[in-house]
Amino acid sequence: MIEEPYRWVEAIANRREYIETQLAAGSPIAAVGYRDGILFVTLGRARQKIFEIYDRIAMGAIGHPGDIERLRMAAIELASTEGFTRSAADVSLRRLAHYSLSPVMKSAFEQVYGAPYLARLLFAEIGSSPKEDLFLRVDYDGAIAADGLKAQPRQRFAVLSGTRQSAELMEKFLQKAHVTDAALPDAINIALDAWSVGRMAMGENASKELPEPAAVRKHRNEQLASAGVEAAVLERDTKSAMRYRILADEELRSSLQH
Amino acid sequence: MDKPPLALDPNFSGASEDFPAILRRKSLLQSAPEPNATAGNRTFIPTESTTILAFKFAGGVLVAGDRRATAGNTVVYDRADKVLEIDRHSIMAIAGVPATAWEMARVLEHSFQYFRRTQLQEMSVDGKVRALSKLLRDNFGFVMQGVGVVVPIFATYDGNSKPEARLYFYDAMGAQFEVTDYAATGSGSPAVRGILYYENNWGDKKLQELNEDEAAAIALRSLDTAAEADTSTGGVDRGGKIFPLIKIVSRDGITTLPEEKIAAIFKQRVA
Repeated sequence: MIEEPYRWVEAIANRREYIETQLAAGSPIAAVGYRDGILFVTLGRARQKIFEIYDRIAMGAIGHPGDIERLRMAAIELASTEGFTRSAADVSLRRLAHYSLSPVMKSAFEQVYGAPYLARLLFAEIGSSPKEDLFLRVDYDGAIAADGLKAQPRQRFAVLSGTRQSAELMEKFLQKAHVTDAALPDAINIALDAWSVGRMAMGENASKELPEPAAVRKHRNEQLASAGVEAAVLERDTKSAMRYRILADEELRSSLQH
Repeated sequence: MDKPPLALDPNFSGASEDFPAILRRKSLLQSAPEPNATAGNRTFIPTESTTILAFKFAGGVLVAGDRRATAGNTVVYDRADKVLEIDRHSIMAIAGVPATAWEMARVLEHSFQYFRRTQLQEMSVDGKVRALSKLLRDNFGFVMQGVGVVVPIFATYDGNSKPEARLYFYDAMGAQFEVTDYAATGSGSPAVRGILYYENNWGDKKLQELNEDEAAAIALRSLDTAAEADTSTGGVDRGGKIFPLIKIVSRDGITTLPEEKIAAIFKQRVA
C-alpha cells in the first residue's frame, strides 16, 4: 500500500498524529537568556529532562525516555569526538543539529515501516557574547526551528512543549515578560511563569489566551508544592571551559517570588 | 559523518562504550601492536628523561615537574608542561614520550567528561585510576617497540573518600600503586625519592604536616637536586628564570602556583 504516493502521504499524516498525541502530555521547558548566560527550567516529578551535551551546549527534551537517551548519547558522542580531534571551540551546535541529528530524525520519521523518534529537543549554545548565543529546536520529523516557532527578529529565549498551542502561548508570554539582562533569580521566576503558562495551555479545554498574572502565580505555586524544579545554566564567564551547571534546589527555592 | 553514532542504530541497546573505544571505532585513536614473541626477546630499556614528583601536604597534594624536554642528548624544549590538569580535581604528571603522554592526557580528560555527561554522575576515583591504567596497558605494544613509554603520576582529591587526597604512580604496563605520602618518577627520581624519604622521616616536619610554602620549597629543592646529576632534568634555570611547574589539588580544586610566588620561595628558601 505504501508504494502509492497517496498512501505514503496518508501514512505520514497518521504517524504525525500519533506522535503528536504521544508528546502532548510533555511538561514544558523554558530556556531564557539572562545577564550571565542561559537558563533552562522545567518542573517534573520523575525523569531528568535537562542535560549537558558539551562544554557550551545544553539540551532539554520531552518524549519517550528511550528515544531521548539515544539522541542524547549520539549528540554527546559527536560533540566529544569533534572536541577531541579538533578543539572545544570547533564543536558547533548548528552543525550538530543540522548535519547530524536532523537528517537522522527525518529519515526515521519518513521510513514508515521503522520506528520514529518520539522526541522533541531544545538546544542552546552559549557564545562569547549574547549576540552569539544560539537556541535551536529539533522536532521528531527533523524540522529545525531557530529562535522560536515563527520567523521573527532574534530573541534570546526558546521554549519546548507538548502541544503547539502551549508553546505559542509560552512564547507570547516571554515576548512580553523576558528581560535580556535580568539577574538569575529574576530569570528563574520569569522562566517558571512561562512554564506555568505552557502547562495551563495544555489539555482539551485550555484557554487560547494568555492567563492573568495572578492566575499564573497561583498555578505555579500549586505545582511547586507537589513537583520538583529542575534547572541548569550555561554560564558565560567562568574560568572553566565547562559552562554547564545544575542549579541546586535551595538556590532555586530561595529565588522564588510569591 | 562517515560512521554514525552507535546509539542511533535501531538495533542498538545496552551499556555504552567508554570513550577510548569510541575513538578506536572511529579510527581516531591508534591501537598499539600486540607485543609479540620476538619483541619479547629484545632488551627493553625504559627511558623516561625527566623528573616529576608529588606528595601529600597539609593543603592537599602537591605535584611538580621540571620543564626540560630532551631527545637523546639534546635539549629540545625548556618550557615543557608535564603537570597536566585532567579535570577539576585530578592532575596527571607525565614522564616519558611527550607525544604519547599528552595524547593520553587528552583521552583521559575527554573520557572523564564523556562519562559524566552520559552517565549523569562523576566517575569514581577508582574508575579514574583504572581508566589511566587501561590506557597504559593498551599502549604497551608501543612501549615494547621502544616508541611510547609513559610512566605517570596521578593525583586526585575526593571529598567523599578516606583519605580525601589520593596519590598513585604507575609502571609502563599499567599497574597502579597507591602511595600514602609521596611518589616520584622519571630519570631524576632516585635522588628525589631519597630526599622525600629523608624529609618524611627525619625532617623538621612530616610531609603531610607541611604548609604550602614549605611544601613548595621542598619540591624545588628536590628538583634542583635531581637536576644536579641528571642531564634530562631541567631543575631551575636561574639564568632564564624558568621555574618548575607546581600545581596543588585540594578540596577546592586545582591551583597553579604563580611563577612570581615560586621565584620568591626559591630566592628565600632554596638559592
